[in-house]
Amino acid sequence: MTQIELRGVQKFFGAVQVIKDLNLKISDNEFIVLLGQSGCGKTTTLRAVAGLETIDEGDILIDGKPVQHLKAADRDIAMVFQSFSLYPHMSVYENIAFPLRATRKSKAEIDQEVRSVAKTLQISDLLAKKPSALSGGDMQRVAIGRALVRRPKAMLMDEPIGALDAKLREEMRAEIKRLHIKQGSTTIYVTHDQIEAMSLADRIVIMHEGVLQQVGTPDEVYSHPANLFVAQFVGSPVMNVADAAVAEKASSASVTVGDAAAGFEFPSALLSKLNGHAGGQLALGIRPEGVLIRRDAAEGFMAVETQIVEPLGSFDIVDLKVGSEMLRARTKSGFISGPGEKVFARIDPTQAHFFDKASGKSLEVRL
Amino acid sequence: MAAVRTSSEIGFNRIAIVAVLVVTIIFLAPIYWIASTAFKPRNLATTIPPTVVFQPEISPFVKLFAKRSQMRNPASPEEYAAAPWWERVVFDGGEKIVRDGKGQVQWSGYPSRFLNSLIVAITSTVLAVGMGTFTAYGFSRFKVKGEADLLFFILSTRMLPPVVVAIPMFLMYRAVGLNDTHVGLIILYTAFNLSFSVWLMKGFMDEIPKEYEEAALVDGYTRMEAFFRIVLPEAATGIAATAVFCFITAWNEYAFALIMTSRRAQTAPPFIPSQVGSGLPDWSVIAAGTFLFLLPVAIFTFLLRNHLLRGMSFGAIRK
Repeated sequence: MTQIELRGVQKFFGAVQVIKDLNLKISDNEFIVLLGQSGCGKTTTLRAVAGLETIDEGDILIDGKPVQHLKAADRDIAMVFQSFSLYPHMSVYENIAFPLRATRKSKAEIDQEVRSVAKTLQISDLLAKKPSALSGGDMQRVAIGRALVRRPKAMLMDEPIGALDAKLREEMRAEIKRLHIKQGSTTIYVTHDQIEAMSLADRIVIMHEGVLQQVGTPDEVYSHPANLFVAQFVGSPVMNVADAAVAEKASSASVTVGDAAAGFEFPSALLSKLNGHAGGQLALGIRPEGVLIRRDAAEGFMAVETQIVEPLGSFDIVDLKVGSEMLRARTKSGFISGPGEKVFARIDPTQAHFFDKASGKSLEVRL
Repeated sequence: MAAVRTSSEIGFNRIAIVAVLVVTIIFLAPIYWIASTAFKPRNLATTIPPTVVFQPEISPFVKLFAKRSQMRNPASPEEYAAAPWWERVVFDGGEKIVRDGKGQVQWSGYPSRFLNSLIVAITSTVLAVGMGTFTAYGFSRFKVKGEADLLFFILSTRMLPPVVVAIPMFLMYRAVGLNDTHVGLIILYTAFNLSFSVWLMKGFMDEIPKEYEEAALVDGYTRMEAFFRIVLPEAATGIAATAVFCFITAWNEYAFALIMTSRRAQTAPPFIPSQVGSGLPDWSVIAAGTFLFLLPVAIFTFLLRNHLLRGMSFGAIRK
């Protein structure tokens, strides 16, 4: 049972504020992913929880007790580093046993626990080896084993699979998830890879320039991004964002993208849901799968010209020229043969997001 | 995988081999010279052209270790016949070995000077490397106010030739009674080597990823424990390299040893040239003394050769 809470945490590096008033509650057994670009403060936050970094203001509570003044060694937390940080002069066995040697456990106990962790991670045959003789994936397993062996209150992982190649990364991702389900410990995981975040997290915490942008389940974050930053950071291919103007028509609303000649048709309910923002500076956000394409003209569809086609195997991404803006649409593979084709497109209103351009905040329009 | 090499690579390889041979010969020639002279009879040591083929003798070493005195007359045949073989070679040179009242052979000054050299060099090396390692760790891991200035200040102690301060040092040492003491020389050599040791170790410490210690800190260790259990083993290569350099500097130091010591704490370097012989210069004895003097450094370096050659990048850190 471990809850971690951050209350009004602030951190400065000289004049630069890297964490700005961060508040976050992590419940027991939860798998939290801190997601953001490099330099957004996510690693600093993690290191602050670990006790490797001091904070300038606020509280860090573990199980309700403030720990910001405790040394790292006294917080009973384990950490897995991106570089794995296996001690090169020790064997795999010694590496895993190292955290236990800091406690008053007997040799026999230590031996038993090291072997049991090694068995869980399927690295029993590697125990005698030196870290330099291991593959990247095995190094990571050992690093995780070293973190698990002490049965810490919480696990912190700093881009633990960022250094692996793509295939191994996918394997290890699944393994970390399996392990979390099996062992169940409060985990904070830092990554800049949104796919990793989506696939692992119970809740994702998105940070940008030291400020928390949104906290939510992967689905919430993907379907209802709180602002333009989250909208464009989460999801691949990236969400289309374009300046938009909303106008009232007879029985519907029209959303014009950029300086396009005509607008996309939306239900008239949009106007009331925009809640007075209709005349303001708006940005329309639409994921490529929300841009629907067909070959023949139909009610509500607008004629557009295809530009570049990027075949991605299971689907294609097609650039559509709408006025001077470019909308990227997701189609079946091979649906569009190449640039210069005339097709018809519309925007799925249920998948459209509207943002206030000035603040970047979502207007929470759900059609 | 079989290496396929182009002709230019093979050509370059040959040039490299020749270059290595030339350099090796240049470096080994003086050592060969000293070693061969150490086993030459006195009269062959200074022949022109040099004698290359000769019957090696142990006599220079006998003369080196035993106290000798000049003889007015050659030894009597009975005395000569009664003497052991190693004493006869001294008689052959017109000298005799000094014995005490009980007939015990008296040692020359060399063994004690050699021991002094060992004491002074080893102690000052341990001190310089030890303090240097801690200092370098501090500079490398913590925010030290005025770090650049402090490091420059540390280095500045090497910016003038040490001999410049020899006279004032001598006067100060005499005033505080450190003249001709082991402690005096140890302090001196430690001070010489410390700046070098700090800078060299700083470079090695910077190479050790700080994640190692952070992992240990999170794993429940104090910083001191992390330093001894993680950093020191990782820094072994650097420590070995630094120790070799410090040892060589302290071992070979001549000028201060000559000025600051005379008997009790005198090291081998100023002693060896003083043994030019009780008559004509005996170069064989000097060469023998020098030859033995070379050995500790050679052995020390040989023992640490793996550390010196092994790169720093054998770790398990992935960047």
